[in-house]
Amino acid sequence: MSDDKILTVTELTKQIKGVLELGFTNVWIQGEISNFKLHSSGHVYFTLKDTGSQISVVMWKSRAAQLIFRPNDGMKVMVRGNITVYEPRGNYQIDCFQLQPIGKGELQQAFEQLKQKLFAEGLFEEEYKKPLPEFPQKIGIVTSPTGAAIKDIISVLSRRFPSIEVFLVPVKVQGIGAAEEIAEAIDDLNKQNLVDVMIIGRGGGSLEDLWAFNEEIVARAVFASNIPVISAVGHEIDFSISDFVADLRAPTPSAAAELAVKDKNEVVELIRNFCYTMSNSMINSIESYKNTISNLTQSYSFNKPHDLLRQRSQQIDELQHRLNRNMLHSFSMTKQRTQFLSARIKSINPKSVLKRGYAIIRQESTIVSSVKKSIPLKSATIEFYDGIINAEIFGREKNVKKRD
Amino acid sequence: MSKKEIKNSFEHSLTRLEKIVTSLEDGGVSLEESLKMYEEGIQLSKECIETLNKAELKIKQLTKDLNGKLQLTDFEE
Repeated sequence: MSDDKILTVTELTKQIKGVLELGFTNVWIQGEISNFKLHSSGHVYFTLKDTGSQISVVMWKSRAAQLIFRPNDGMKVMVRGNITVYEPRGNYQIDCFQLQPIGKGELQQAFEQLKQKLFAEGLFEEEYKKPLPEFPQKIGIVTSPTGAAIKDIISVLSRRFPSIEVFLVPVKVQGIGAAEEIAEAIDDLNKQNLVDVMIIGRGGGSLEDLWAFNEEIVARAVFASNIPVISAVGHEIDFSISDFVADLRAPTPSAAAELAVKDKNEVVELIRNFCYTMSNSMINSIESYKNTISNLTQSYSFNKPHDLLRQRSQQIDELQHRLNRNMLHSFSMTKQRTQFLSARIKSINPKSVLKRGYAIIRQESTIVSSVKKSIPLKSATIEFYDGIINAEIFGREKNVKKRD
Repeated sequence: MSKKEIKNSFEHSLTRLEKIVTSLEDGGVSLEESLKMYEEGIQLSKECIETLNKAELKIKQLTKDLNGKLQLTDFEE
């Protein structure tokens, strides 16, 4: 070097910075996280290392907030970023703008580990599942206020059962701090105790996107909730830890809304059926009362007095008949007797004796039945059977008793 | 308790309606009583259907202010 020039530290650092920062932009590095630190400022610091070397990584707050999962020490990750030189200390580091776990294996393993742990603790047990209210009036929703999930849920609820109130607790559903916000929202809804049921969830995404719902803190909050929780994370095929702990798992946020409320039209139909059944029952019961009354009026005991009356009337008829018969009989007997008597009377008619040669002598219209009753020298009539002779009595002579 | 009942007045009405229907269906209620129940049932069903038809979904947002105090605001989609 002919043109030797003595550099200041700053000058050198500036040159190194230029070389490094221009020469190492947008690089992918893989390694294992150690010394992970989430600073209160929101910036994230950690060291990326492998068996041979290590490098500092910084992730600024704005990017850390986009993180789709919670990095932990020991986790194998891929880091994308630019090399930057921190001049005051002469350090170089990676300014990371993308952080990914290596493969799905890592997250899957974390998922399985937590699932095993919570299962062993009994958090998924059926006995802890609370029944959902049949007709909730107030529904809490823990999700992003700008995501697809809230739109879907509101659309389904307004269509199916609009006579309810919805309380949205807006939260971050992915990135660092999302799990904490979700857990806090569940707690807040419990503290407020103004909803009958809550839906927690988000729309579809990668396993990393859905990761917040696989965090232990969310699982614990769901388990602790006194209000029934429906978990609806991602699509049908996605299962999250919150699904297992929740009182009910819905395959999607829309499905969660459908599970939470009944269809208004079905309920109206149900009520109409109730009305129909009630009216039918009333008609049947009135009909049955009518039948009972008609059965009673036709019963033997109800009709006994009437029957007795008929029997009596029959009896009267019979008696009348007998009476008539007797009357007729006695009438004919009387008639016979009268005829007999009249014959006898005829036979004792004195006039019939006249035919035999006897005659009736009358003087002054009086029958002269003895000599003594006759009046001498007076006219008399002598009645024969065929006429009268006028005569005069000249004398009379009484019978003298002969002495034998 | 009474607050909870008011909160679920719809469910309460519907449960009562269901009970009336079952009682009327099973019989064993006097004619007078069943007529009263029938009237109540028809009234309840009217109220329930009215509730279902008139309403519009109300959406509120539960957020925290700077002091961490929960507050309710209207949610604009």
